[in-house]
Amino acid sequence: MKLDTPFKLYANCVTVKGFNRSTICDLQRNDVRTIPNDLYDILTNHEGKTINDIKNQYHNEFDDIIDEYFQFLYDNEFIFFTKQTSIFPPLSLKWSDPAIINNSIIDIDKNSSYDVLKVLKQLDDLHCRHLEIRNFDVARVDVLENIFDYLKENESSIQSVEILLPFFKDVEKWIDSAKHKFLRVSFIRVFNCPFNQNIMPSGNTKAYIMYTKQHYESELCCGKISQNFFAANMKAFTESVNHNSCLNKKLSIDKNGNIKNCPSMQKGFGSVNDTQLKDIVTDKDFTKVWSITKDQILVCKDCEFRHICTDCRAYKENPTDEFSKPLKCGYSPYTNEWEDWSINPLKKEAITYYKLQADTEKP
Amino acid sequence: MILLISSKYDVSTNIVIQWLNYYGIVFLRLHTEEFSMLNYFSVSNKSISLTINDINLEAITGIWHRRGRLRNLPNSLNDLGKVTTYLKKEEDSLIKSIETSLRTTKKYIGSYISEIENYKLDHLIAAKECNLNIPDSIVTTSKKGLLDFHSKYDQIISKDLRYAINIKTDDISINSTGTFKVTDELISELDDHFAPIYAQEYIEKEFEIRIFFIEDNLFSMGIFSQQDEQTRVDYRNYNDEIPNRCVPINLPKNIKEQLLDFTRKVKLNTGSIDMIYSIDEHYVFLEVNPMGQFDWLSKNCNYYIEEAIAKEFMEL
Repeated sequence: MKLDTPFKLYANCVTVKGFNRSTICDLQRNDVRTIPNDLYDILTNHEGKTINDIKNQYHNEFDDIIDEYFQFLYDNEFIFFTKQTSIFPPLSLKWSDPAIINNSIIDIDKNSSYDVLKVLKQLDDLHCRHLEIRNFDVARVDVLENIFDYLKENESSIQSVEILLPFFKDVEKWIDSAKHKFLRVSFIRVFNCPFNQNIMPSGNTKAYIMYTKQHYESELCCGKISQNFFAANMKAFTESVNHNSCLNKKLSIDKNGNIKNCPSMQKGFGSVNDTQLKDIVTDKDFTKVWSITKDQILVCKDCEFRHICTDCRAYKENPTDEFSKPLKCGYSPYTNEWEDWSINPLKKEAITYYKLQADTEKP
Repeated sequence: MILLISSKYDVSTNIVIQWLNYYGIVFLRLHTEEFSMLNYFSVSNKSISLTINDINLEAITGIWHRRGRLRNLPNSLNDLGKVTTYLKKEEDSLIKSIETSLRTTKKYIGSYISEIENYKLDHLIAAKECNLNIPDSIVTTSKKGLLDFHSKYDQIISKDLRYAINIKTDDISINSTGTFKVTDELISELDDHFAPIYAQEYIEKEFEIRIFFIEDNLFSMGIFSQQDEQTRVDYRNYNDEIPNRCVPINLPKNIKEQLLDFTRKVKLNTGSIDMIYSIDEHYVFLEVNPMGQFDWLSKNCNYYIEEAIAKEFMEL
């Protein structure tokens, strides 16, 4: 600790102010720490000054607290001391992505009859890199195998595929037999299993396989907000500052073949049977949700975790307000407590509106 | 069309390709691990022409030479002892002539020739001529010379003049990461005369600086080693070592100008420069790597260097 040398925050430790407290989001070491708003103010207003200067500014009335703050910052390597304060610029918060669509969710149920391969070909033209395929009611092994074959035999922009499917007899045997086609499959989650088991990638398959007792009823399961989904990294943070942290550059196909931002959303943009994806991605109506940031969303805009958090525009506390807080978030930035959102009496009306079965939401 | 010469395992190349696709720039990627069939490199009074893997490179408007070099020697000729050594020398001159030829007519970023002829002393002298600070350095074959040099500085280091050593035979394996401290004990074990040793004053640093450059664009990053042992408090359970802090730097204007002067003087249009900022407040040039890695720099500083590289080829 140097009391007479100016301090700087490391640029990849970014502060975010909340209603009661703030966070330091460490985008290099992927960590987040909560700090008092007083410390946020010191960091914002006095960066580049010496600790002794700062103590003087507060008329030496809070020396102990200031010492404690700076010891915390120094111990965690959030700050350094240098006379060269002017050569260290803040981090650029630019976010940019070389894809027109960078991720896609495709839902398939027992009645789905749309042409999935036709969708994949169009996603390639849009440079899509990540794909999530979800089966809720029944595992559509026939369609999944077609997808594996397509991805194995074609040059595709898709780099990773996640698959969700329900347990069926001999599912392990089936996965084993299809393994050699998993070149781009990164994650398979089998739900409704009689057992829990995680299998790490091995050999030449990079797929992580999870068998879980958990139940996923339908697309209504999506949209939960939890600390478990926090991501304090450069890409996610800068995307959140500039765009919607769930829907940006996302395009989804629901189980009926309708093109949507997300399968859980009401509004469709035509069927894949007669609509070209490339025509939808230039439709302002389709892309307008991409730019709804947490700074615009009610409650979220007061939350210290807003830029490391996910979002949900499908299920909102007020279904008619596009800037309403995600329904399935139990956190309050005003009390700093997490509660079970599904039993909150204030959310009952919205839960009924979306016909969410709260009891199937839990593991 | 743009020609990319790179390792098939290079992550940065993959990201640049995503940006080339985004900007609609057509490219041909050749892997440095694989045999590229040279149909012909023909030179006549009328024209110079080059066809590789059945593709006439007439259509190529620009080259990004990211890593390594093409392989024109069939794999079947790789195991013939001294004959292979001879053929590889021949191949090497061919590869260099092709680069030189392409360089005269096309935009050619990166260079195998510069990578292979990365003479650190040349660069040190060039840096000095551009008014950059350099560490006092010596190359000597005499124990007395080394001792005299050592006596002038608190500490000295030694490094390689070109490449880090990496020798593997059936009997021995010698390799090093490059720089190491030269101690009195180390010197006392030496004979009176030895192969040329490159030694340098050790300069205590406040932070290190890594600068990736492409044409006139400089992307600079400060690297902070651990503040001290005390700060390695174990409040988080990292599997890996806690990475050094890496943050963007906006170098002073005069240093930027001196660095750009330097890149022109040594005729490099891309590369990575290592510098330090010393505790006595000087920027000191250490060395340049013509084909250095920049992925960590791009990510830690949110610089989008890969996009900048793709854009270099936009209006060709």
